[in-house]
Amino acid sequence: MQHTITSEFLADTANSIMKLAQSLGAEEVSVQISHSVSTELTQRAGIIEKSQQSNSLGVGIELLVDGRFSGHSASDIRLESLQPFIQRAIDATRYLEVDKNRMLPDISIMGSASADIQAYDSAIEHRTAEQRSASLQELETTCLTLSADAPVRSITTHVWDSYENSQVCASNGFTAGWKRSGFGAGAEITMVDANDRLPEAYDYRSTRYLEDVPSAHTLASSILEKGSSRLRSRNIPSAKLPILIENRVAGKLIGMILSAMQGNNIYENRSFLVGKRGQSMASSALQIESNPLVPRGLASKPFDNDGLPSTIMPLVQDGVLQCYFLNVYNARRLQDTPTTGSAGNIIIPPTNTTPQYILESLPKVISVEGFLGGNSNTVTGDFSFGITGRYFENGKCVQSVSEMNISGNIFDILAKFETACSDVWTYSNYRLPSLLFTDVQCSGV
Amino acid sequence: MSIAKPQGTTGEYFEKMGITPELCRSIMSTALQHGGDNCDLYFQHSASTSVQLTDGKVSQASTSLDLGMGVRVIQGDQVGYSYSEDLSPSALHNAAQVAAQIASHQQNKTVAVPNKYNIPNYYPVSQPWDEVTMAHRVELLRKWEKMAFDMDNRVKRVDVYVQDGASVVMLVRADGRMTEDWRPSTLGYIQCTVEENGVRESNSYNVAARAGLEYYTEDRQTRLVKEAVHRAIFQLSAISPPAGEMPVVLAAGPSAILLHEAIGHGLEADFNRKNISIFSSKMNQQIANSHVTIVDDGTIENSRGAVNIDDEGNDSQRTVLVENGILRSYLHDSISAKHFQVAPTGSGRRQSFRHTPIPRMRATIMENGPHSPEEIIASVKHGIYCSSFANGQVNIGGGDFAFYVKQGYLIEDGKLTQPIKDVNVIGNGPDALSKMDMIGNDLVIDEGGWTCGKDGQGVPVSQGMPTVRVSSLTIGGMG
Repeated sequence: MQHTITSEFLADTANSIMKLAQSLGAEEVSVQISHSVSTELTQRAGIIEKSQQSNSLGVGIELLVDGRFSGHSASDIRLESLQPFIQRAIDATRYLEVDKNRMLPDISIMGSASADIQAYDSAIEHRTAEQRSASLQELETTCLTLSADAPVRSITTHVWDSYENSQVCASNGFTAGWKRSGFGAGAEITMVDANDRLPEAYDYRSTRYLEDVPSAHTLASSILEKGSSRLRSRNIPSAKLPILIENRVAGKLIGMILSAMQGNNIYENRSFLVGKRGQSMASSALQIESNPLVPRGLASKPFDNDGLPSTIMPLVQDGVLQCYFLNVYNARRLQDTPTTGSAGNIIIPPTNTTPQYILESLPKVISVEGFLGGNSNTVTGDFSFGITGRYFENGKCVQSVSEMNISGNIFDILAKFETACSDVWTYSNYRLPSLLFTDVQCSGV
Repeated sequence: MSIAKPQGTTGEYFEKMGITPELCRSIMSTALQHGGDNCDLYFQHSASTSVQLTDGKVSQASTSLDLGMGVRVIQGDQVGYSYSEDLSPSALHNAAQVAAQIASHQQNKTVAVPNKYNIPNYYPVSQPWDEVTMAHRVELLRKWEKMAFDMDNRVKRVDVYVQDGASVVMLVRADGRMTEDWRPSTLGYIQCTVEENGVRESNSYNVAARAGLEYYTEDRQTRLVKEAVHRAIFQLSAISPPAGEMPVVLAAGPSAILLHEAIGHGLEADFNRKNISIFSSKMNQQIANSHVTIVDDGTIENSRGAVNIDDEGNDSQRTVLVENGILRSYLHDSISAKHFQVAPTGSGRRQSFRHTPIPRMRATIMENGPHSPEEIIASVKHGIYCSSFANGQVNIGGGDFAFYVKQGYLIEDGKLTQPIKDVNVIGNGPDALSKMDMIGNDLVIDEGGWTCGKDGQGVPVSQGMPTVRVSSLTIGGMG
């Protein structure tokens, strides 16, 4: 692992690039420079199948030239290479039209949040090749041991870690930077089923801290359970049924809301949430928050892409839409106040209700444990997603489900949100519990 | 910003950056210091430009410039990989040291003297993007915007962009093969928002190719704009179809997303080498109706999926995957080809120097069958006709696939009736293949800018097929 490129070097380089762009004719400049190092090992059938290491340095440059805006990226940060690149970029920008809403934010609203988001684990600096190999070996061995009596065709295991250091420098005087680490482990399993089918399942866990990576036993148990639950799957008759969307995949549905909250979709009148701010859009049971300050959260960050300090933002309270994601540019276009253009950790508060309780207490329910394809219409809110999972009757799993879809309109399904569960998934930007919706159109046979 | 086609012989482009054949040989010797069966170096220099019209203004542009080298060491089925964005000899040797760690034998493997190979050119260009001014790009966007507003007064908003770029890649292998390829690309996109009686809808169309400015003929520009306007207006009257299993007729052209998801991925040989594809045990077996022949072709001139060589330096080719319903070949990279003891099919592809090559599709095409599209539609009493698509996904081992239908029609008593929209269609690959019971004679290769994702890598692909009837798939409609 190479951590020899210091924050000071990156900040100085960003500053030099900014000054270079100014000297070549840009009136406002923002430079972000990032250094990242990552390693991933993949093992199957007792041998390391792939060992990949990367060491990357890149720069993003935003230019304002005579009131005209453009953005550029390059992987070669040597000034002698960047000079002709930036010169051409500035020349090209002059052919564009003036956009009065494009300018750097006022320095007075920029800054970094003071909260300790614990994004960086110094354990990354001491991670060795031997440790990675040992983790991988332990995970594979545990998977194979636990699945010894199961109809398994193949298990592929992974471990990875990463490091990234980003420094920002803007011509209005803003400078900031932060480091983050990443660790993870996971596996894919392929089972042997009837009719030559080889259903697969996966479980990957990403964390900021090494100590938060689940044990090999936890991962192996989970992957085997998920693989086994895919056996003998088929579709069931079409019906309106309650669905319990498993915590780790619930972001698929909630992501639809976030996309519709984006400022560009609001400004361009291409969102089902246009005009809905302050209005009820869901069951009063629904609460959603964007929190970029969760310690060790994967979407935690000290400042957003505009350089605004990160803040906690209620998105939906008691079913009422609270805000849009407005970066500085979209806020200006909408003559509104900027919030942020990028979401933090998306949180739905858990309750005391366990998923198990719900599956046992409802006469019929589909536990949605995966999605397959599908899409949504951001203008209308119509959606249609393929699902996999299990169908329960009175607490008993009576059928593993595949080749089925759920469809409807986002407002209809959000009105049918019943409750969140207790089981928050922490290995994603979406820190969600399992979510129960009633009367959802499920199409199968 | 773009990169002009190199005018010199193979290797001269990167030699100007100090990358000599001797240096390449030295780097590969470092990479193979612990042994290994093979090694390759992948140099890439790429540049791209995107210009966007939004809010009636051409006020956004972006460019990117990328340069680096990836080094791969192969030992059996094992791969060691590293890359460097710094092309100094010391940085390249450092990357090779990292990749070398995958190998466990102590004996050195001999690295052959690089031999320059000439390759065919499947993407002739007459107006390369490096000769096109920014003013010309702006003019193009303005023209498309005006055409859209002039076409229908229900058009309320138009967003347009054009992307273009080029890469120079150089492959040098330990067996001595040295190749170089210049890869141009372009994509034109238009999104229209329409309004009628207070109802708003939005839809888009795009065209893409490995080509220069000459790609945008007057006919293609008209079609690009017309399709976007038509698709947006179509949405206004379209409904969600009924849910459940029913016959599906797939329109010629973009419907080949079904081929790509349901069959193509399952025939990528890495999955079959690991015995985890639903097609792993089906070689030389009848897997489809005898009218079904499917090829994956990297040699279709100027197509988005065309490659002069693959990203392992192997020749591109037209690979017959399914012939008259019988499975004939997988898509191989060099690792799977060695495993199956067959020749590589030129299918080892990667997103950039930051990624290892893996078996990928290029242009996946179903050839013509015996039926007319009219008789196929007329044969369905109650079903749906799918004409445009957004995305798809497949589970390789289980074979389950899904694709999202953006637009289509109900078929009632053999006729196209009510427009439908926004519905996910789901099925199982081998099952769907066996249910393809009518194959049209109207093959269309889609011109859209499809990008295939696998293992975190996106590569440009093409696809095409004639009108096809599948006797039953699950439709994610309403009620």
